[in-house]
Amino acid sequence: MSMYVGGKAGRGAKRLERAKPYLFLLPMIVFAVGFVYYPFLKTALQSFSNVNFRGETTGFSGLENYRYLFSRREFGIAVRNTLKLTLINVPVTLALTLLMAWLGSRRRFLGPVYETMFALPMVISMSAITLVFKVLLNPSVGFVNYALGLRIGWYEDRHTAMSGILLLTVWMGLGFNFLLFQSAFKAIPDDLLGSARLEGAGPVRILLQIQLPLISPTILYVLCTNMIQAMMTSGPILILTQGGPSRSTITMIYLMYTSGYSSSNYSLAAAVSMIAFLMTLLFTLLLFLMEKRRVHYQ
Amino acid sequence: MRTNRIRRAKDRALGIVGLLAGCLILFPVFYGVMGAFKSPAEFIAYPPTVFSKSFGYFKNFETVFTQVPMLRYFLNSLIVAGMSTAVRLALAVLAAYAFVFYRFRGRKLLFFLLLGTMMIPADTLTITNYQTVSHLRLLDTYLGMGIVFFVGASQMFMLRQHFMAAPTSVREAALLDGCGDGRFILSILVPMSGPLLTTLFLQSFITVWNAYLWPLLVTNGNDMRTVQVGVTMLTTIEGTNYETVLAGATVAMLPAIALFLIMRRYLSRAMSGGALIT
Repeated sequence: MSMYVGGKAGRGAKRLERAKPYLFLLPMIVFAVGFVYYPFLKTALQSFSNVNFRGETTGFSGLENYRYLFSRREFGIAVRNTLKLTLINVPVTLALTLLMAWLGSRRRFLGPVYETMFALPMVISMSAITLVFKVLLNPSVGFVNYALGLRIGWYEDRHTAMSGILLLTVWMGLGFNFLLFQSAFKAIPDDLLGSARLEGAGPVRILLQIQLPLISPTILYVLCTNMIQAMMTSGPILILTQGGPSRSTITMIYLMYTSGYSSSNYSLAAAVSMIAFLMTLLFTLLLFLMEKRRVHYQ
Repeated sequence: MRTNRIRRAKDRALGIVGLLAGCLILFPVFYGVMGAFKSPAEFIAYPPTVFSKSFGYFKNFETVFTQVPMLRYFLNSLIVAGMSTAVRLALAVLAAYAFVFYRFRGRKLLFFLLLGTMMIPADTLTITNYQTVSHLRLLDTYLGMGIVFFVGASQMFMLRQHFMAAPTSVREAALLDGCGDGRFILSILVPMSGPLLTTLFLQSFITVWNAYLWPLLVTNGNDMRTVQVGVTMLTTIEGTNYETVLAGATVAMLPAIALFLIMRRYLSRAMSGGALIT
């Protein structure tokens, strides 16, 4: 069509044609810049600046925010708690969901029933299940203490509150990770497993030497996402414990929330979120280094 | 014969183990729903029970709906999740379309710019995004509640993979017939990607529906709370007891459970389609 249209109009059409892909990309780029990259840079800048309660930067302060942050006891507690959550949550979730997925990897008696049950936690919202756990683990009327004959204070005792949070966060990760592992298991060709069986390999050997190596990309992915999620834990803390009792459940993002939102100390909040970001990035890199050695791609 | 029988017995045994594990996992959900139907006296009675004897006791639900504007919360959640998921997918479709069907300068750079958003956990940005939304005077508005969910890099990526599988001849033929970009996207590309779009929609919808930290930050007015934020308000209202809290949790859980049971096949496919979705 443009062949016969000469002069200005033709050039205009050509220019429009060249601009088109950028126009299609523009909306997504605007929001990616406005709500991911801009806030990220702003957070980084604010962590090195004085910021007033209105969120206006009033001057450069170098490492002062970080120095102040490191001097506060709360920060040490928050880092320790977050690391504890991550280091326990990630391997426990991995082991549990792998086991569940292994059970769901072959057609079995009652399979469709329990597979649905395994996946269901995926759609339960964090706040609803947090409220249920609050009652379930209540030391006096809750069912867990009674059924197991325990006398644990759970969320009301600073020695056990973190364990209660861990139970809850592990539970929340079960459904999604189960589904991921199940589909990874199912993607393994049947004849591969069949020939291994014919050669006399037992289920444990098949699992360790064939199945796990073949699903290692999914394992890496689950490790990464779980790690990030655990490092970002804040919801259950906000609803259940508000960081208590006696600061035993403060996490980094919870600290960021309280210093930024409740106390309007934006520079401090920015410093906390930068540290949380850098730690998460470091762990991601470590996991990917591990990948180079261990993960097998087909 | 014998090995067959042993195999079947083993299969049965593992099936029962699976069922028991499933019951254990779902126990908290079951306990919560049951507790919602207990009367106050039944709840504090010792020893505590799981099953509700007075099944049919709906007073707790009545309390939930009178103490907090629960229906309004549902409407808010529905609007925010529906709107931001629709916008997210629309932006992702447009971007994926540009990446697959056009060659232009900076294509790779822009692609990695968009994918790079996945490297920064959204939670670390909440305080700064709160400042932005507050400056834009979008606190307590649906737009402000949904705006941070508009960018879906993983959705864009999945759609791109899917579009790449479409034969280029289809697009060439469509263009020759005078079909513009908009019509090509709407009448060929979108219908062609129906199942994928459905799974991506469901997955995003559930994510936004269940979000907590962000809607908590940007809503102050009681009328603008989402379901997730709203039900936790039940714990702070004076005079509410455990049964009411559980009734609130049940109200918040049931729609998602129903949706899950209906759309299970789509959801599982969302998972197996690609591990990248978040």
